[in-house]
Amino acid sequence: MSKGSIVTLCLLLVLLAWPVAVPRPALGGGLLGDESDGSRAQPTHLIDLFPENIDPNSFEPVKGEKINPNIDESSKVLLPFSTKWTCGECHSYNIINKGWHFNAADPNVPPGRPGQPWIYFDARTVTQIPLSHRPWPGTFKPEQVGLTDRKFVQIFGRQMPGGGVGEADSDDPQQKMRQYISGKLEINCLACHNADPGQDQGGTSGYAVQVARGNFRWAAAAACGFAQVSGSAEDMPDTYDPFDPFEVASAKEGQKPPPTITYRKAVFDHQNRVLFNIVREVPKQRCYYCHSNLYLGDAEKTQKWSSDEDVHLKAGLTCVDCHRHGIDHNIIRGYEQESLVSGNPLAATSSCEGCHLSQGQDKPQRGRLGAPVPTHTGLPPSHLKKLTCTACHCGPWPAENTHLTKTSRAHRLGTPNVNKSDEVLPHIIAPVFAKQLASAPVAEAAPATEPAALSLSKGAGAKSGGKIAPHKLIWPAFWAELVDKQVRPVDLDVVRRTVGEVFEKLPLPQSGDWPALSEENIASALAALVKVIKGKAVYIAGGNLYSLDDKGVLHEEADHPAARPYLWPIAHDVRPAAQSLGAQQCEDCHSPEAPFLKGRVCVDSPVKDKAGVFRAMTDMYEFAGPVYVRVNLFFKLLIIAVMTLLILHILGDLYRRGITKIQKLKIKNKNCGIAAKRR
Amino acid sequence: MRQISGTKTQEREFFQRFGLQFRVQHTLLFLSTITLIITGVPLWCLGRPEYGWSQAAVCAFGSIETIRYIHRAGAAILILVSIYHLFYTVFAKEGRRQFIELLPRQKDVIDVTINSLYFLGLLKYRPSFGRYTYYEKFDYWAVYWGCVIMIGTGLVLWFPDVAAKYVPWFTYELAAEVHADEAILAALALFIWHFYNVHFNPSRFPGTLLWWHGKISRQEMMHDHPLEYYKKVLAQLALRSATQAREAETKSKDQKADTQ
Repeated sequence: MSKGSIVTLCLLLVLLAWPVAVPRPALGGGLLGDESDGSRAQPTHLIDLFPENIDPNSFEPVKGEKINPNIDESSKVLLPFSTKWTCGECHSYNIINKGWHFNAADPNVPPGRPGQPWIYFDARTVTQIPLSHRPWPGTFKPEQVGLTDRKFVQIFGRQMPGGGVGEADSDDPQQKMRQYISGKLEINCLACHNADPGQDQGGTSGYAVQVARGNFRWAAAAACGFAQVSGSAEDMPDTYDPFDPFEVASAKEGQKPPPTITYRKAVFDHQNRVLFNIVREVPKQRCYYCHSNLYLGDAEKTQKWSSDEDVHLKAGLTCVDCHRHGIDHNIIRGYEQESLVSGNPLAATSSCEGCHLSQGQDKPQRGRLGAPVPTHTGLPPSHLKKLTCTACHCGPWPAENTHLTKTSRAHRLGTPNVNKSDEVLPHIIAPVFAKQLASAPVAEAAPATEPAALSLSKGAGAKSGGKIAPHKLIWPAFWAELVDKQVRPVDLDVVRRTVGEVFEKLPLPQSGDWPALSEENIASALAALVKVIKGKAVYIAGGNLYSLDDKGVLHEEADHPAARPYLWPIAHDVRPAAQSLGAQQCEDCHSPEAPFLKGRVCVDSPVKDKAGVFRAMTDMYEFAGPVYVRVNLFFKLLIIAVMTLLILHILGDLYRRGITKIQKLKIKNKNCGIAAKRR
Repeated sequence: MRQISGTKTQEREFFQRFGLQFRVQHTLLFLSTITLIITGVPLWCLGRPEYGWSQAAVCAFGSIETIRYIHRAGAAILILVSIYHLFYTVFAKEGRRQFIELLPRQKDVIDVTINSLYFLGLLKYRPSFGRYTYYEKFDYWAVYWGCVIMIGTGLVLWFPDVAAKYVPWFTYELAAEVHADEAILAALALFIWHFYNVHFNPSRFPGTLLWWHGKISRQEMMHDHPLEYYKKVLAQLALRSATQAREAETKSKDQKADTQ
């Protein structure tokens, strides 16, 4: 055989073997891990780690060299691995980062049903304000209060999964410089998909701490369980270059060390690959880090051990059995009519109705995953039209008064140095039964500066037209300026400088509660604030708007539209059917003293004189309260009046009978006496 | 026969006060009302945790569903009796007569005044009552009022969907409140007022079976309904006179025929 023939044969063999030897993209054009081949087994993730590097010419992010924990750090910087370049080898990062957890700042994404906002709070300036990139009515965009993306991520990134605003590029040169030093907060795939118990989101050197230190580039690696990150990017000067080994070495010798990473070498195999315990079905503990609730009772503190977990989890389901998604990570939120908003028809099948009630057209829908099909015996069908499933089945059992509640994202649950007192800010109140806002596509959503559509005035619930559902509620408290009748929050830095200085000597409770604010305090603060802003200085708190008139006298406008509370529906924890409202008796709700009707919603206000103020639960939806009271009074008076007359009549009759009987006896005795005398 | 007075036993004369239809209606009415009260009280008390005994009452019946079924059965009977009574008072001659007698009159106001003065000892004699005393008329119209309210509100509670569609302003809670309040009033009026008048007052104690056989004795009629008694006596006398006159006329005609 000639040399040419051999070469041709080899080439032919290579061409034939090519499809097998080289991993092909999956069907549909995506990467290997974008589409499952149908196997339910967990793929083994023994993979190379890649960092993100910066191209020195274009300053664009590029994939770095494979991570070797044994590199010579005098000539190269040991970088943290990047989820984008590591996980992105097989999973399309550009598709994933458009998912629900990462697309809050995308204006083209329909916001859907209002959800929990990020709550900025500061006891010193007596502020708690709901923020969201999504245009949920009643929330404010972070830039409206002067929070840059970077600052926002630093404050709230502890319980963000990365991506979204964490990767947003800024036009501001200063922000760009800091981003170069800190890196971008990429999507932390491991935060959800790493089943290793060592995944450290909230530990003393875990994800939350790294984010707070500005170590965005290092945060995901610090949490993975086999890497240690020290130092802080926030402490570095603007000119610091984290990719320059000499600068890193020199900074290490300084008083404020730079962010550096050390890997546990034992986890790397002989090819410097690492075995990750990656799962498709995210364990509930991963979800709980960001989505835990603690409902605080009235008489006794409700401990975690005394509250029951969601019945779905107790039945063996996981969060992702309902909250599903594909590679697009457009997770199903599970509320009614979500499919109309998100455009995902599968969302309808994963709601309460989808699994428990829906009949389906071609095949049965209800009963999925063993979901019991309720008969709702004795329940008038109007309940299903006027109430959401969650109204009867979710959240804490309603009591006479609403209670404070804590959530992971609002109260930093699971992170170091959390203030565990019940009164710590922010104050979230639950359960509040109110009409749910309709979930509108983005074209119809109200701008974030408008107050929440839910009103405290009777009859306003008809405007929203939604079903009654249990909600969490927050009464915003913030400093704002009134311009053309529009209330706009003042930049938080400005507030901190002016109002913070005025309140410098106000004692702050150790419990983390509001300081006791007097009207004089508010007036002083407004007087200081008006000097640094353009419009009229106002303070929103407890449903009221406070302002100074031309003479410097404080005025309070009650129930101001801009001071309305922000509410978002409660969907967990779901109680068992036997523990739903009305399971025992209709009077759970339909009785004069039922909390559903007579419950009181706490009005949370930092103003001393407003402590202990409540609103009626029925203010949150239509209810004929005064008519009921008058009718009740009428009948009580009627019963008293009628029975008094009837009893008097009986007594009168008895009295006359008695008198007549006595008289007859007297006459009889008299006659007997006369007869005896005659004899 | 019971000895009435003196040493002679006398045959007591009875008048038929209420016909069969009236008695059947009354029987069904009180049976359904008492059933409704007995089953209604635990249903009402379930929403009030201070009435812990209501749980025991529920257990005695078996379950809350059982109580509800019995309550609704009683309600159905009450509704049927009410509808029947309406037809009875419109289409039956006897019913119309009874209804007209039961209508309130000016004399009733005078009777109330005289009786009140009598109770206070300011007058020596009671008023003379006709077929129905003012308090018996009150009983009848109170039941009328009660049935309208109880049936109306009860239907709202039974069919809240339909009610929400046609009378949305009449909410479930409002209906429940009115239903309960009126039930309390009706139960008190029944067990205190009505029972005293028909069973517990000294002239009738331990009770009367008038509701069963519909008969009233002459003495009772003379004492309680003298105007009606004398009306009957006059009617009998008039009838006797007319009969005697007809007999006399017939006899004279016969005699004339004989002589001719």
